[in-house]
Amino acid sequence: MTDEFDLESCLKRVLDKDQTAARTLVEQLYPLVIRIVRSHLPRRAAEEDLAQEVFVKLFSRLDRYEARPDVPFAHWVSRLAVRTCLDALRAERRRPELRWSDLTEDDAAWLNFLVAEAPADPDLPASDARAIVEKLLAQLAPPDRLVITLLDLEEKPVKEIAQLTGWSSTLVKVRAFRARRKLRALAQALKETDQYE
Amino acid sequence: MSEFDIRWQAGITRAREAGRRDETMPHGFATSVLALAQPSASPPISLELVWQRLTFGVLGVIAAALVVCAALELPYFRDRQPLEPGIENTVAQLVWSI
Repeated sequence: MTDEFDLESCLKRVLDKDQTAARTLVEQLYPLVIRIVRSHLPRRAAEEDLAQEVFVKLFSRLDRYEARPDVPFAHWVSRLAVRTCLDALRAERRRPELRWSDLTEDDAAWLNFLVAEAPADPDLPASDARAIVEKLLAQLAPPDRLVITLLDLEEKPVKEIAQLTGWSSTLVKVRAFRARRKLRALAQALKETDQYE
Repeated sequence: MSEFDIRWQAGITRAREAGRRDETMPHGFATSVLALAQPSASPPISLELVWQRLTFGVLGVIAAALVVCAALELPYFRDRQPLEPGIENTVAQLVWSI
């Protein structure tokens, strides 16, 4: 949110059904919401639809928000967005199985590095690393994907993840540990499919 | 830290370097959000309205039943004794006892 934006007055006007203030609020929060939605987007969902769902929830629950110094508004919105995404991920009936043949040459180079078949990381664009990381994360169960995305990809502290998800700090750490173990198993299983193709 | 964890962290570090995508709000997004967030225009249905609708429904059913009875009775309209004496007596006794 921009510095000159007066959040308190805007929220008050939104609660008084001021459409202009509501529009300003959407404009201010859009970058934050779309960043979260893109990080936790189910495979078949459209990011705009999910972002819209987050905003609709936000407006329907805005009267429940209480301004507190320890809970900034952006944090409250992030929590709402993360939970909406988690629900959308859970609603995804089955995750598509990833096979070696689905990978591009660059994806395969990264995967070879991850399963220790290549000695050094491939000198390829960061977008390729991002692509294979996202493909692997999409194979995980929604809570596992969420915790790894927040912890590893977005580098959020455990305490903040606990606040965003409503899980305890211990649960966040345990989930992250198990999720990484599953990732290793997934990467190895994926590499093995290469031998049969 | 296992070998995989070290390599995973290296991959993740590289993935983080991928630039952020465009975060400009698409045209018309706010309008569609506000349209969806608007509460429905129709007022909530009161108990009085429900009762009124139910009453009209019941009246309609009674009117239909009367029409059906009248239609069934119509062929015997000119008949001097439309009801059998036995039935007539039973009905008269019932009415009297009430």
